[in-house]
Amino acid sequence: MVPAIEVEALVKTFNRGRKNAVHALQGISFSVWPGEVVGLLGPNGAGKTTTIKCILGLISPTGGTTRVYGFDTRTHRREVVRRTSAVLEGSRNIYWRMSALENLDFFTGLYGMSLSESRPYSEKLLELFRLRDRKHVPVQELSAGMRQKVAVACALATRTPVVFLDEPTLGLDVETSYELRRSLKQLAEEENRTIILSSHDMHVVQDVCQRVIIMNQGRIVVDDTVDNLLSLFRTRAYRFVLSDGLREDLERQLRARFPEVVVRRDLQTVVEVVVSRPEEIYLLIDLFREAGLLIESITQQEPDLEEAFLRLVRGEVAC
Amino acid sequence: MLKELFCVMRAVFRQQIIMMRRYMFNTMSSMVTLYIVFMLLFFGVRAVGGAAVTTATLEGMVVGYALWMLSIMGYSDLAWGLIQEAQMGTLEKLYLSPLGFRWICGFRQLTGLIITLVMVTVLVGIIMLTTGVYLRLDLVSVLPLLLLGVLPAYGFGFMSAGLALIYKRIQSAFQILQFVFVGFMVAPASWPISAYLPLNMGNRLLNQVMVQGRRLWELDPSDIGTLVLVAAAYCGLGLALFGRMETVARDRGLLGHY
Repeated sequence: MVPAIEVEALVKTFNRGRKNAVHALQGISFSVWPGEVVGLLGPNGAGKTTTIKCILGLISPTGGTTRVYGFDTRTHRREVVRRTSAVLEGSRNIYWRMSALENLDFFTGLYGMSLSESRPYSEKLLELFRLRDRKHVPVQELSAGMRQKVAVACALATRTPVVFLDEPTLGLDVETSYELRRSLKQLAEEENRTIILSSHDMHVVQDVCQRVIIMNQGRIVVDDTVDNLLSLFRTRAYRFVLSDGLREDLERQLRARFPEVVVRRDLQTVVEVVVSRPEEIYLLIDLFREAGLLIESITQQEPDLEEAFLRLVRGEVAC
Repeated sequence: MLKELFCVMRAVFRQQIIMMRRYMFNTMSSMVTLYIVFMLLFFGVRAVGGAAVTTATLEGMVVGYALWMLSIMGYSDLAWGLIQEAQMGTLEKLYLSPLGFRWICGFRQLTGLIITLVMVTVLVGIIMLTTGVYLRLDLVSVLPLLLLGVLPAYGFGFMSAGLALIYKRIQSAFQILQFVFVGFMVAPASWPISAYLPLNMGNRLLNQVMVQGRRLWELDPSDIGTLVLVAAAYCGLGLALFGRMETVARDRGLLGHY
């Protein structure tokens, strides 16, 4: 089977040969298989948008290759574009003076679709995103969330096998973000499309994506399934509740061994720690026992992707 | 491929009409401004020139003004249009059309030209009614000359659009160029270089047709040759520069910036 997307040794340097050269991508490689929903995560400047734009041919890479269904972006851009669509800057990607339906008609038209071909699916998307009642209203009169949904609908309406969503939930309130990701999840499940979703919103990625690629400073830090990534942290994050106070010398010992340890002293003493190897849990227990402390409870913390992301990007944990 | 082309053309045409309707106030106010500017020029020339101003001079003015209106509208549609797309964040989306941005640009210009032709015809009609200066509207002769005459302005439009892709804020240069067009158009025929200036030969030949009543086939073939050559040269140059700037913009990642 041909991968939906192949990225090989992709390099992008802006202002090449100058003092202020920016190495946006430093030789990244990955493949995405048809039907996969992949999250692209990373802090600002990690290279997520540059990666997407290189695949789409909107930015020329300095080195390496990108292919969509086997077509090289550099030599067969038209074939690549025919198979891809994108939301690139949230709701800035649509015409605010035109209505949702007019935008959908226009962008599907640009992909060579007649109205009779595009309208039934456009109407389905309007229904799915709960925009049907407002489909004739100019986009500028819609709420920020609705505008965002129109932008996503415009990208999906072209029915391309690959869809790039760059920050689709940027600036949305919790409720709208939840609604949008519910719709995206439904579409991903029903239509088996390949979706690459870049976002700062970990909940969107955790909820919608099967796999996540975490980038930092133009490099891939981790490329794994969301489940694997979460289970990795699930087994290593612990919360101890101690009956007595933690002496300062013991806290120093703990910090020397686990630099990110969190100690809270309220009615009880709570110690939160992430161990890098599972057997380190015994070391902790031994330390508490030797100090004569009673452990009232040990709970395995339920990590979310945000925590995993932060620790991976900071280099605290290696996968 | 043909079906795709047709669908893209229909989508662009429909979008342009919708946008024109949504920006109706802007469309109407630009027409009114152009009319007022012409009337001020017209009465100014008559008042200053007195008896020296002949009917032919006034007719020539109307022809020149019509060509200038068509030129600046076409030029600004292209250059401003691109800047606005970059501002709105839709430019990159247009680059994602499988048929390519050039086709979208081409269809947009075609639509713009049709709309502009209608607007200029209406304006010239109103100008003729108000001033009492009537021109000969032999469409068979006028249309080809008008189209070839404005093509250099489109060439400049492509050049400016290309520069806008890289440098973004070049509006002041745009505005100056609109007045430079007037200079190109009225440069005296006695200058050897004037025939090769944008809009100049078009203006001369349109005057021969609309003022002197000559037909297209009665015009000097070498003049028509020069008109075609100038149109092709400026348009080709504009497209080549635009292509070069597009490559630079892709390399620097500037398509989505403003």
